[in-house]
Amino acid sequence: MATLTRNDIEIATRAADHFTRLYYSTYDSPTRVNDLPNFYRPTSTVTWNGNPCEGSDGVKKVMEGMPSTKHEVQSFDCHPIPGSQPPSLLVTVSGNVVHGKGTAGNPVSTPSRSVDGQPRVFAQTFMLVPDPTAPPVKPGEVAKYYIGADAMRFVG
Amino acid sequence: MTSTATPVPGRRMLAVNALQKAGLIDHDERMRDVNDKPGGRKGSSKHRSHRPRPIDAYKDAGPSRASMIAARLPGPSTDSISIRGASRPTAVGRMRRNAVSVVTNKPSDASARRITVGVNTLNVWREFVQKRYNADAQFLNLERMLEDESLSKERLYPPGAPGGSAREASVIFKLASQLKPEVRTISLANNNLTGQLLSTMAHYLPNIANLSLENNNIKGFRDLDYISGRKGKLENLQELILVGNPIRDTEYEHGRGDAYKSEIGRRFPSLSVLDREPLAAIGFDAPKQSSSTSAPKLPTSTSFPCEMGPSFITAVDPSIVSTFLARFFHTWDNDRAALLNVYDPSATFSFSANTAIPARARIQGFQHSKEMPNQKKLEWTPWLTRGEGGSRNLSRMAGGVEKMVKSLHVGSEDALKSMMDLPKTKHDVGGAPEKFCLDAWPVGTSLFVCVHGQFTEQPSGGERSFDRSFVLGPSPEASRAKLNGWDVTILSDQLVVRAYSSHEAWKPGPMRVQATGGSSSAQPPISITPQMREQLAAIPEPQRSLVLQISQRTRLTIKFAVECLEGNGWDPERAVANFEQVKGNLAQDAFL
Repeated sequence: MATLTRNDIEIATRAADHFTRLYYSTYDSPTRVNDLPNFYRPTSTVTWNGNPCEGSDGVKKVMEGMPSTKHEVQSFDCHPIPGSQPPSLLVTVSGNVVHGKGTAGNPVSTPSRSVDGQPRVFAQTFMLVPDPTAPPVKPGEVAKYYIGADAMRFVG
Repeated sequence: MTSTATPVPGRRMLAVNALQKAGLIDHDERMRDVNDKPGGRKGSSKHRSHRPRPIDAYKDAGPSRASMIAARLPGPSTDSISIRGASRPTAVGRMRRNAVSVVTNKPSDASARRITVGVNTLNVWREFVQKRYNADAQFLNLERMLEDESLSKERLYPPGAPGGSAREASVIFKLASQLKPEVRTISLANNNLTGQLLSTMAHYLPNIANLSLENNNIKGFRDLDYISGRKGKLENLQELILVGNPIRDTEYEHGRGDAYKSEIGRRFPSLSVLDREPLAAIGFDAPKQSSSTSAPKLPTSTSFPCEMGPSFITAVDPSIVSTFLARFFHTWDNDRAALLNVYDPSATFSFSANTAIPARARIQGFQHSKEMPNQKKLEWTPWLTRGEGGSRNLSRMAGGVEKMVKSLHVGSEDALKSMMDLPKTKHDVGGAPEKFCLDAWPVGTSLFVCVHGQFTEQPSGGERSFDRSFVLGPSPEASRAKLNGWDVTILSDQLVVRAYSSHEAWKPGPMRVQATGGSSSAQPPISITPQMREQLAAIPEPQRSLVLQISQRTRLTIKFAVECLEGNGWDPERAVANFEQVKGNLAQDAFL
């Protein structure tokens, strides 16, 4: 089994940084219903708070019913998974997310100590895998990756 | 701009003179401390370091809220231009301070806050930028501005020239942002630029893909913070040229070419070409910038697409996962060293601390609750610094590439060494099952497992929440894991430790996006008949979920819910308010 080089770790970290920026800015954008499924493939396995959805189409359906979001990534980490070349990447993200209009969308009668509309803590883990059928289009691009697995939960 | 327009040379000076006459300038140095104290929330201060630097004077001279908006407004055809950070630090800094600190009814006060550049000057700059733009290639060539005769003839000093400043740079970048089609490539080669002169570039030109800074005066990595994608600046940059700058030359002279590439790569996650050489990067099917031109509407759904579901395990025997986790956490708590057996020899391990205070938990007051008396004793220090390399929170990481590599533990021996240095814990896996939540399924030949839960940290006895993600593989025959009774082996293990939040967060059932009006929150969910399902199916999203929501909240039939929403511009809150007014007059058949 191949061991990880420093270069593998650097590439993986940059990829995770780039990915989390792209992913959540797309998620929070008005074009997300059409754009977010591009990160997935028909074979991707995805759960949203314990609800499974199959592939890009499943993600699209979930996004169609989703209120507007604003994510804030507070922590992320990434490991290259030894065994494949290029390696798959395990990315974990911890942060918070505001849905809809947040507290501003609560009725005026809402008590000030209510948690409704407040940001939720979310935890999301991705398995990013190389797509051997998608040729790299840019110089320097070692491979095109997609989300093979994605588990998201509200955790606070 | 027509030739009849009257030039207003020195308009800014006039404004300053007016203020001096009014006695509003040149006194009260102490005001600076009041306005500029660290931690004060101001628009541009987000990424500022705590160490005062000369640039901060420019930043502070920048936008008040009003001028920020003015600077973002489209329309280049006015006779003046307001520029972010376009002022010289002293005069305008004073003006701004006075503007907020002195109660005055002088009209000159308000107008002076808007930084203006004279008509003539602006026209020269605009013509210059347009002349340098190749619209077909979306390429703005700003090389060798110091040698441009159209500028020197008008005695204009480009940034990088003696007498030139960030003010001129801002003017140029703003004018560049008005070019059509949008600029994709900029060359600023051979301009003697320092990093500070680029401070407003990302504000005006956030989408540029290719940037040449060849043969300039960029000195250190800190200078790149003004444009770094990692700092949220040029997040779409694909190609960057820094050849002929001290930042690159120094590193290469000292044989640190690879370190230089690593550090640049880290600062620009989207970069794939550096100094005309490919930089290894991983691509994603990201949405194209241009696809967002049709300005679609933000989603309007006011409910979630699904309820919170229970733990989800599929295509794998749940007992394999639960047996593994129960034994794993028990061993982690009581005999951590024995975990050497369950990590694959090439396994990876890291932990990271998310130290943010969770909003809902704060409101619920766990920090000061009687039930959890030890929360105040918890400290972050062990999770930030210990474990042979510290927290691997890649979004907050200082310490550069070195720390990034050091905090990832590769191989079971290194992984274990790190774990042994972390605080002792107690995971109550045998206790209340609702305190843990699990999603797991196979991916390829391995098993993807995400656990959320809580543990008691020792010695403080305080509670923390955690998320832990594993990649597991079947233990090979005769492997150390197999011989020790582990059916699965850990290939990868990432631990996120965060402040305590209640497990109620993943309690299965409906979730609210926002608070609902008093009475309706007590309503049991409506039951959907086949007829209703048919009616709903004919309604496209996002309207469908609005209709369902209104029907739920008002008990109106689908037909009347649609009417109610249509009459109120599809705003559910207005629709419900309207319903409350008229519900007494509605016929019985309007209701379910």
